[in-house]
Amino acid sequence: MGDRPLATDDDLVARAQRGDTRAYGTLVKEHQTLAFRTAYLLTGSAADAEDAVQDAFVKAHGALGRFRPGAPFRPWLLAIVANEARNRRTSAGRRERLALRAAEDPLSGGAVPSPEAALLDAERREELLAAVNDLREDDRLAIACRYFLGLSEEETAAALGWRRGTVKSRTSRALDRLRAQLEVEA
Amino acid sequence: MTELERALVGLGGELAFPETPDLSERVLGRLALEPSEPRRRRRALVLVLAVLAVAVAAAMAVPQARTAILEFFRLRGATVERVETLPRVPPATETTLDLGRPLPGTRADVLIPAALGPPDAAYADDEDYGRRLTLVYEPGPGVPESPYTGVGILVSEFLGEGATRYVEKLAEAGTRIERLQVGAYPALWLEGGPHIVFFEKEGRVFEDEGRLAGNTLLVERDDMLVRIEGEISKERAVEIAESLELG
Repeated sequence: MGDRPLATDDDLVARAQRGDTRAYGTLVKEHQTLAFRTAYLLTGSAADAEDAVQDAFVKAHGALGRFRPGAPFRPWLLAIVANEARNRRTSAGRRERLALRAAEDPLSGGAVPSPEAALLDAERREELLAAVNDLREDDRLAIACRYFLGLSEEETAAALGWRRGTVKSRTSRALDRLRAQLEVEA
Repeated sequence: MTELERALVGLGGELAFPETPDLSERVLGRLALEPSEPRRRRRALVLVLAVLAVAVAAAMAVPQARTAILEFFRLRGATVERVETLPRVPPATETTLDLGRPLPGTRADVLIPAALGPPDAAYADDEDYGRRLTLVYEPGPGVPESPYTGVGILVSEFLGEGATRYVEKLAEAGTRIERLQVGAYPALWLEGGPHIVFFEKEGRVFEDEGRLAGNTLLVERDDMLVRIEGEISKERAVEIAESLELG
């Protein structure tokens, strides 16, 4: 069991399309964290995000018959997740923004800081986070998807319902605004 | 990657996201229960089953079950396919209308059908790729409630860069598809049996599932696609389409 190579998304999707629910369960496990965090960014509520992701996985299973073999699974799934998340946000009438915050003690538990994290001292981290939170919604979402969630441009486009070119231009604009904001504060 | 981008990646690793719940068991549990779960929307279920039954019957009636597209109709922004078997139909409990956000008032760029007057509700779904506006008319005299939407008539207007398109799949042999003209505009009329409609955007599923739809008129008006759905006659649908004017 343990020495079997890990199945790829393509393999798992193909098996799930043939009715293998265990394969679909594996897909859920592998993508649920990213799906949940994406939904959380869009809804601003952990409970709504949980419901949205659960419904999205059920709907995605129902739509597997239309999934194009060989296409990347993550952007397809994220589009469904984001649709569910936006529906909840709309139906709940929520308009307040989610304020991103840093973990209380991000390096607790003996974790070794990543090279990127090591660049940030506590003060600069708070400045940067405040600047991101001050961005307009579109810019903030672009930054969050691309850098906080590590989504590709294609995945960000799927999650936010934008064109890929729009993702690129809004990310660039958001970075410019962040730089300007940080320079003012410096 | 610039220093700022690297700093953002580092910050992302330190954000306090809520702990992700393990959803796999719950998802698989729902998938196992869905087929036998009592339906709150029994009407939709009946329709789903009816369509599935027809699809199965159609598949059984031919020597080899096939999913080939038998007929193909196209407008700019809309494709209608007649197939022998339907794509998977989502659970009936998930059959919902997703029309976007409610519009509090009318907008200058909305076409209103004078034949129906102001809508009872309006919704907008604005995206980078274009715009979808939907006018909702409740059932009333001469406008029966649609068993597929729960409202009287839906008038949807799509305006965009051609990135959004309808795909209307039909499996029932009894569903008629007719090419016609509405004024100067090419149109398609679908009547006689439920079909499945869903939307795609740039090759990906936009509404992630299809839904059953009733009689539908699709009209290509320059760069706009108009879709009128309801349990109404072709003549009435054409009359509504011809009366569209800026509100």
